[in-house]
Amino acid sequence: MSERKNIIDMQQLMLRYPTGKVALSGVNLSIKQGQFVYLTGESGAGKSSLLRMFYGGFRPTSGQLHVQNTDMRKANMGTVRTVRRRTGIVFQDHRLLFSRTVFENVALPLRVQGWNKDRLIPRVRKVLEFVRLEDRLWSYPEALSGGEQQRIAIARAMMATPPVVLADEPTGNLDEDTARHVLNLLMGLNQLGTTVIMATHDLHLLKSHPGRIVQLHAGALVEDSYAR
Amino acid sequence: MPVKKNEPVNIHLPGGMNIPPFGIHQYLALIIVAVSLWALGSVWMGLQATGQWVGAWQQQVVLHVYLPQEHKKELKALQENLEAVDGVQKVSYVARENSAEWMQQWLGGSQLNVDTLAERLPETLLVHLLKHEENHFVIDDVRDVVKRTHADINQDELKLLSMRDILNKIEQFVWFATVLLILAMSLIVSNTLRMILLARADEVHLMRLMGAKEWFVRMPFVLEGMLLGATAGLLAWLLLWPWVWGSSEWLADSAIELHIASLLFPLLAGGAFLGCLGALIATARLVSPDSMENA
Repeated sequence: MSERKNIIDMQQLMLRYPTGKVALSGVNLSIKQGQFVYLTGESGAGKSSLLRMFYGGFRPTSGQLHVQNTDMRKANMGTVRTVRRRTGIVFQDHRLLFSRTVFENVALPLRVQGWNKDRLIPRVRKVLEFVRLEDRLWSYPEALSGGEQQRIAIARAMMATPPVVLADEPTGNLDEDTARHVLNLLMGLNQLGTTVIMATHDLHLLKSHPGRIVQLHAGALVEDSYAR
Repeated sequence: MPVKKNEPVNIHLPGGMNIPPFGIHQYLALIIVAVSLWALGSVWMGLQATGQWVGAWQQQVVLHVYLPQEHKKELKALQENLEAVDGVQKVSYVARENSAEWMQQWLGGSQLNVDTLAERLPETLLVHLLKHEENHFVIDDVRDVVKRTHADINQDELKLLSMRDILNKIEQFVWFATVLLILAMSLIVSNTLRMILLARADEVHLMRLMGAKEWFVRMPFVLEGMLLGATAGLLAWLLLWPWVWGSSEWLADSAIELHIASLLFPLLAGGAFLGCLGALIATARLVSPDSMENA
């Protein structure tokens, strides 16, 4: 079996906020293509900050960070846009647009790449089939349950078939059964070859859904292991 | 509520060249801008009418100088002195026969003989002035020359000339007011779009996180501003017609023919320009959280 490439690579990564607070310090980590990675740690450990750096939300203060072969410290806005187009993001609060239909929400990643609606409709239908919400194409998000809304957010994240999906506590607001279902979807996505990096507090989910566990504490990497 | 596959749905995809649907804020801004543009259009239309009334369209300014017959011997000297004035193009003598002929035509088919009347007419000189900005100095010089004789200048023509000067000053003021109003209206459009931007901040943020180019994010707002301004311009132009209809009798009496169509393009283009300017002001600082665009 051929060695998989690193899709994310960082050395001595440091992030300091403009306020002076150090969010991450001296983090060394490599994530290979196709891995399922859990980012764990207490609140304020640096999980969300690390995820944000992966899509250019923050620029590293020092150290090296390469995401999809892009040096994120030196990347200009155009390059960051390219990385973002190849990255799916799932937020804890799903950040769906409530004034827009499910179709318009899910279509957004390819819409910003210039796809017209005739091309988008079959693609959105296909993605919604994956999350088993194909019958909700023209619904508005407010008509959906919390779990369904998060599934729509996952559908949106996978719309442009990105090599990486970043999920920031996607199960944080869900009950256990719904959370398990959402995690199943992310696992299914991972089995299709997508690298999934998920920040989570729900450690009990790791028993039923194994993966690589990267634990942060006070901005530093303290554990890197595999749960099977 | 699920909808069947073939059920028609009005799709509003965000970004790019898609103009979002108008809401109450846009309609309010549309009314304000349309009324302001209508006021501007009315003033410019009024200037157009007044310009025609005072004959500002004429390429050459002509003054009639009359010399009573009992001082006819002064005529040659007067003509020479007038020709010597700087700014006077030429001075021509109007023969009494021509005056009599004109009077006869003016009296139409009546059988009156104007010869007796024409014999009593003063000698008339036509003073053609070169059209330039400093006509009032030339007129003063002409007036001085005329004062030294027993001649007189047509006072109505002098009044019209002074009206032209006033009109020129009014036009300068109206240009100034136009620029000020365009800036003010741009700010109104900008403020309206700013509210829309705040309402769509999440959408803008998401589009950026998904790698949208800045023009793609901002273009709908620019298009919306342009559309709002151009629609207001069209409305303002339509609202000018009641002026024309209401004053048609007076316009006809004064031999004024308004070219209202010529105001359509300036109002449309001006409206679109101020809308675009307002949109650019509104989107100049379009901040999204956790985005490098802010850096």
